[in-house]
Amino acid sequence: MTANKIFRTALIWGGVIAVLIGVVGAIIGWNIDGSVGLTSALIGAVVGAAFLSITAASILFANRYAASDMYVTIFFGVVLGGWLLKFVLFLVLAIVLRDQPWINLLILFTSVIASAVATLVVDTIIVMKGRVPYTAPSVAGDGTENAS
Amino acid sequence: MDPIILAEVTGNLNTVGYGLAAIGPGIGIGIVAGKTVEAMARQPELAGRLQVTMFLGIAFTELLAFIGVALFFLG
Repeated sequence: MTANKIFRTALIWGGVIAVLIGVVGAIIGWNIDGSVGLTSALIGAVVGAAFLSITAASILFANRYAASDMYVTIFFGVVLGGWLLKFVLFLVLAIVLRDQPWINLLILFTSVIASAVATLVVDTIIVMKGRVPYTAPSVAGDGTENAS
Repeated sequence: MDPIILAEVTGNLNTVGYGLAAIGPGIGIGIVAGKTVEAMARQPELAGRLQVTMFLGIAFTELLAFIGVALFFLG
């Protein structure tokens, strides 16, 4: 039994909140540093939300193998591997963007943190409101027919 | 080397800061994942609920790491 519905909702609302943070950040960034601030705020909003959403996306992907005998191994391999990959990507991105003349670091990382915190708040609300039943009827084709 | 200086650090201290920032989330994610494995082994039928709780645990832990890494680049 899996809780794919909650993760899908979290992904969708994470995207919505990233757009909101991006718009607000772009306006603030434009007022502080013109087009450089706008670009930095937009990139920061996308990176923050995308990297927090990778967890939900990796869980959704791993749940495709719910029927497998190796489900637990695959699940933690995918989820924790995705987590590690995300941090490597984040470090590479930060090192590459650090010396670019069209990036304002302060706005970029403020935007990343704002976007990540906002996504976390949304995720928390969705998980608290989400109802996961103890048992669920299998739906043909969702990969959970034989899952325990 | 100046005999008065007993120890000196060369290079960027931010790198040490990143190392320190990686310890907490590393321990955190280990506990979250390890405990979820344990719980899923005990009660496989609760996997869905445990995954949701784990998702929240991972999200909180990685936010800490994100802030640590972001400050590393800002400093």
